[in-house]
Amino acid sequence: MDNLIITDLSKTYKNGVKALQNISLQIPKGMFGLLGPNGAGKSTLMRTIATLQEADQGEILLGGLNIQSQPNELRKVLGYLPQQFGVYPSLSVEMLLNHLAVLKGIINRKERNDIVHALLHKVNLFEVRKQKLGEFSGGMKQRFGIAQALLNNPKLLIVDEPTAGLDPVERNRFYNLLSEIGEQTIVILSTHIVDDVKELCTKMAIINKGNVVIQGNPLEIIESLNGRLYEKTIHKSDLEQYKKEYQVISDRLYLGKQLVHVVSDTHPGSDFKSIEANLEDVYMSQIFNG
Amino acid sequence: MLYEFFKFELKYRLKRPETYFFFLLLFLFSVVGVEFVFQGIDLGLVKKNSPLVIAKSMGAITGLSMIIASMIMGVPVLRDFQYDMVSLIYVNPISKRDYLAGRFLGSFVVLLFIFSGVLWGMMIGEFLPWNDPKEFLPFQFINYLQPFLWVVLPTVFFGSSVFFAAGALSKNLMVVYTQGVVIFVLFMITKGITNETFQALLDPFSLTTLTKATKEWTVADRNALLIPVSGIMLLNKLFWIVLGISVLAIGYTKFHLMVVNEKAFNRKQAQKVKTLTDTITKNLPSVTPVFHTKAQSAQLLFNTWFHSVSILKLKSFWAIILCCFIIILVNSVSLGTSYGVDSYPTTYLIIEELREMSIYFFMIILVFYSGEIMWKERDVKLDLIHDATPISSFVNVSSRFLALLLIYAIVMLSLIAAGVLFQTLNGYHHYELAVYFFGFFLELFPFLALYTFAAIFFQALTGNKFMGMLATIAFAIINVAIGVFGLEHALLNFGGHALATYSDMNGYGHFLTAYLWVKIYWVLFGVLLLISASILMVKGNETGLSKRWKSGLTQIGKPLAAFGIVCFMFFLSIGGYVFYNTNVLNEFWTKAEQTSYRAEYEKSLKQFEYFPQPKIIDVKLNIDLFPSQRAYEVAGYYVLTNTSQEPIREIHVQKLIESNVDLMDVTFDREAATNNTYSNFHYTIYELSQSLAPGDTLKMNFRQSLQPEGFEADNSGTDVVYNGTFFDNAELPGFGYQKKYELQDEDDRKDFELAPRLQKAKRNDVKELVNSRSGSDSDGTTLEVIISTEAPQTALTSGDLVATWNEDGRNYFHYKTNQRIIHFYPIVSAHYEVLRDSTNPSGNTADEFVDLEIYYQKGHEYNLTRMMESMKMSLGYYSRQFSPYQHKHLRVVEFPRYRAFAQSLPGIIPFSEAIGFIMDIDDEKDVDMAFYVTAHEVAHQWWGLQLEAANVQGQNMILETLAQYSAMMVHREKYGDEKVRQFLKLQLENYKEAKIKSSKEELPLALVENEEHIYYNKGALVMYELQTQIGEENVNKALQNFLNDWHSFDNPQKPSRYATTFELISCFREVAPESEQGTITDLLEKVKPIGEN
Repeated sequence: MDNLIITDLSKTYKNGVKALQNISLQIPKGMFGLLGPNGAGKSTLMRTIATLQEADQGEILLGGLNIQSQPNELRKVLGYLPQQFGVYPSLSVEMLLNHLAVLKGIINRKERNDIVHALLHKVNLFEVRKQKLGEFSGGMKQRFGIAQALLNNPKLLIVDEPTAGLDPVERNRFYNLLSEIGEQTIVILSTHIVDDVKELCTKMAIINKGNVVIQGNPLEIIESLNGRLYEKTIHKSDLEQYKKEYQVISDRLYLGKQLVHVVSDTHPGSDFKSIEANLEDVYMSQIFNG
Repeated sequence: MLYEFFKFELKYRLKRPETYFFFLLLFLFSVVGVEFVFQGIDLGLVKKNSPLVIAKSMGAITGLSMIIASMIMGVPVLRDFQYDMVSLIYVNPISKRDYLAGRFLGSFVVLLFIFSGVLWGMMIGEFLPWNDPKEFLPFQFINYLQPFLWVVLPTVFFGSSVFFAAGALSKNLMVVYTQGVVIFVLFMITKGITNETFQALLDPFSLTTLTKATKEWTVADRNALLIPVSGIMLLNKLFWIVLGISVLAIGYTKFHLMVVNEKAFNRKQAQKVKTLTDTITKNLPSVTPVFHTKAQSAQLLFNTWFHSVSILKLKSFWAIILCCFIIILVNSVSLGTSYGVDSYPTTYLIIEELREMSIYFFMIILVFYSGEIMWKERDVKLDLIHDATPISSFVNVSSRFLALLLIYAIVMLSLIAAGVLFQTLNGYHHYELAVYFFGFFLELFPFLALYTFAAIFFQALTGNKFMGMLATIAFAIINVAIGVFGLEHALLNFGGHALATYSDMNGYGHFLTAYLWVKIYWVLFGVLLLISASILMVKGNETGLSKRWKSGLTQIGKPLAAFGIVCFMFFLSIGGYVFYNTNVLNEFWTKAEQTSYRAEYEKSLKQFEYFPQPKIIDVKLNIDLFPSQRAYEVAGYYVLTNTSQEPIREIHVQKLIESNVDLMDVTFDREAATNNTYSNFHYTIYELSQSLAPGDTLKMNFRQSLQPEGFEADNSGTDVVYNGTFFDNAELPGFGYQKKYELQDEDDRKDFELAPRLQKAKRNDVKELVNSRSGSDSDGTTLEVIISTEAPQTALTSGDLVATWNEDGRNYFHYKTNQRIIHFYPIVSAHYEVLRDSTNPSGNTADEFVDLEIYYQKGHEYNLTRMMESMKMSLGYYSRQFSPYQHKHLRVVEFPRYRAFAQSLPGIIPFSEAIGFIMDIDDEKDVDMAFYVTAHEVAHQWWGLQLEAANVQGQNMILETLAQYSAMMVHREKYGDEKVRQFLKLQLENYKEAKIKSSKEELPLALVENEEHIYYNKGALVMYELQTQIGEENVNKALQNFLNDWHSFDNPQKPSRYATTFELISCFREVAPESEQGTITDLLEKVKPIGEN
């Protein structure tokens, strides 16, 4: 299986927002997590990979395939679940999946029926397959979105914030499905939920303000912080003071008390407790101090 | 709070570009509003800026712009739902009153601003530099303001109320889009109401109301009075205002500040099933997506079906279709003719009605659903998912195109079903499914398909539903406009020309070939548009036009590129082929070229107008017709005589100015030199070596042929056709200047500095008193013609049929007159059925039988007995009352409906398929117009053919008014006075209607020029009144004397000129008692109101 290689991708919107700045990524088969805060450029990057938007410069290759010059070739092997999407309210989920299957070149009627039914089972919509999409709840709609992305056994699956609106049960179900698919497919998963990446992805990148701030194996990335991370419970009023004195990467409340995480090459002093790094800390350190 | 909402609405709207766009649109439209609304309508003496004209234009523009009102007023509440703002807004402590009233008032004020464009625009329109000041009153602001306040404002208020309420309650964008159209449809439905008062009351735009309210107004009133604020106008306005208020009130009570409407709760909540099965572990079945051509065809079919079904599921679509059928239900009941009698619901008439009524709906469907179908993914935000699929853009766009075509086809099939149903309900069982099919799928379907190509292209080009719709509409308007302004070639005017009228006799005739070639040419262009659309179609987030084009081009793919190039090559070659046919094999003249040619003709040749020319006294012709090639060959000669006092040295021969007609071998029985100075006008001067002395005769031989080549794309050439050839001797060479080639339009004449054209010469014009027709080249002639035509057609002309034979598959007919006739005879040929009878006219001698024949198209048997009886009774009455009938035969021959008239020539009456033959006459309620028109034409065998009138003022009174009188008398003999009075009622209506439209001061009947409403309609009223006053016998006695004095032939006491109304009126005066002399003066020589009692 070929890797997806992104080289030097840049995109500046008309309003001057630099959505992507010289992004270079190598994405192999398996689950690839794309982390970043709101507005970091994740969706722009994913839309660009999904051929829905053109970059100002840079190149995206899937194996020998240049995505920009042969977008339709990519679309043949692409599954894409956008962050936001709608449906025809008057159609049933089965009809719409059928329609999209035709668009994806699944012309053989039996093949189409089989895959549509299998997917309906997978995303647990089989029972409601005749129901109008207009009557679907947000979660059900999201599950339809997942199903449609898998219609054509994609080689490249791009899912943008896929678990938004799913309850924990459905979320697990979906992640199981994804990791199953990730065994043979490149799966790019964007999210701002750090745990998702940790649980699922073999590789990841963090994007902020259009730049890749770090990429690699989640474990290795976490490793880079190990031994340098400290924690302390402080008074809320002292927070500003701490932020000045230390490299505070996160401040949050824990049982009503103010908790800060601090990165430091040396032990920052008394009352600080050395802790195991987790991915969230990495994320926070990259976003706020990177 | 109310003020806050009001202010917000105002601010929001003022920031939106479409507010200004709509204003500008209305403004610009209104600048040419009067021209647009009154296009093709002669306003007569009514000025273009009179309050009534302004009010009607404003009313019509308002009606057409209701969609704008809907777009502004329908969305204020809906918008909150659309952008998911409701939860944020409704949760606040706002009152329903403030919310709704604020939104309504704010939008309404903005709407008033937009519609004020109509007011300003129309005022500016008055000052356009090319306006003719004679058509305008001095500027008066009140003439604009009052109609605006009184006609436009209440309409806008009503519309706003309905749209606002409907938008707020339905919360459906499609409702907003369609309701402006629906109200227009409502208006159309009111047009179908036959009760005038109700129609006027219920007209939402007050157009019929204005007509009704000002029906009795004179021209002076129309130019001076403001729109009445009373009577029917007041009722109409009150009705709609009250209705508007009621709708608002209902909307107010029904509306709740709720985020979720009731419906949502009612839906079945079947989503509780959440059994976690172990299906997860199963692997997904593998699929093999395919993208070869066959797969793409399958995709095309699947998607076409998918998109059509999705339109068929839309409520709005069914609303449009429902409206369409309601209108048809209301309107198609009336298949009235211009004579006030219904026709049989023949298939072609039904189709024409259905097409005419449904075309607006087709256009609505086309414009709206091309927008809907192109952006349906974007509208529901499915576009990203859709665009990430590998479907070829061309397949995608084409399937949407085909889906629209499928929709049209479905609607057309249901229209056909409706037509058949209508025929059945009316007891008409002659179903012609092929005619139905072609009437829709050959005539209408290509037109719609081509505009759909364009609509899809504009949608893709603009990348925006609304702009795409506007661009499509603008394109259609511009396309019509440039056709009017001279870009009339079928290869340049998008879509080409319409197919010529269908005729039962001739089908689509030779017009079909040109039509199909031109349509193929444009369809290829359409395919190129479709390819461009597929390149330009927005994919994903790209919106910039150039970017879309560039990236679209790179993705086009070799097969599609090749296909595009092939289409382009075919487009060019077929265009070339059409051009070769229309412009190389045939001559193509633009309107401007024709106009200047006519002007040049007049300037060069007017000098010869009264140049003495010999007169035809004998004609012998051999005519070979080749209907299947639309050709003929004529060989023969004229015998000419010099009736002037001077010797004639120059013979001026005018060939018919038409391409493919050749005049050859013109020779005289003496030497003649040819002078080709004016050959540009096909006008040849033959200088005789030896002048023609007064009284001497001269023989002129000639040959003429018509040999059409290729085809023309302007539906011309209705004279010689496959079945139903009909032309007269004007086709053959004539002598001297031909006034018929002069420019008629006074504006055009002014442009070429030509003097205004006299409609008719004065009654004492000595030059025209000796002419019975303009530029007449004969004072009576004998005629002998041998016509041959292709079997099984029958060929006819004037004269007795002396022999007929068949040779080499051709039918030959030898006709010869037994006396002199006026030089006016037809050549007719078609495949006919014949109804024969004979009669001995009671005024002729006892053994003189007249053969009566009606040559008709098979299937047109309905009124033959009526026509035959009319011929018999007419011959009887006229021969008894006026003079004996002059021929041994009288023939009525049907000709195709390209022209709709009947005409009397010596012994033969060509009668159009369009009139009489298919009238469905109900003797209870109708006037038997088949009988009447026949009687009128038979009367011309006397008025016009026995007695000719001088070509001066009043000529048409002698020819037409006397024919009307004669026909009325025969009609009365058959049906009684009651029916004649019914007939007169229609004449009075027609006369009054035309009088208002006439731009000319009315002339007395005795001096009538070419005003049909005077010599036909008023003439009938006047003559009826005259015979009431002085008695039928006296009138007939006078006419008999008149005939005696002025009979054209064998009449030694006739002066060497033709009769005028002066002599006719003298004849009336002779027989009238002293007491009625004033009546004659009033009726015939003055312009007095008539028929009011």
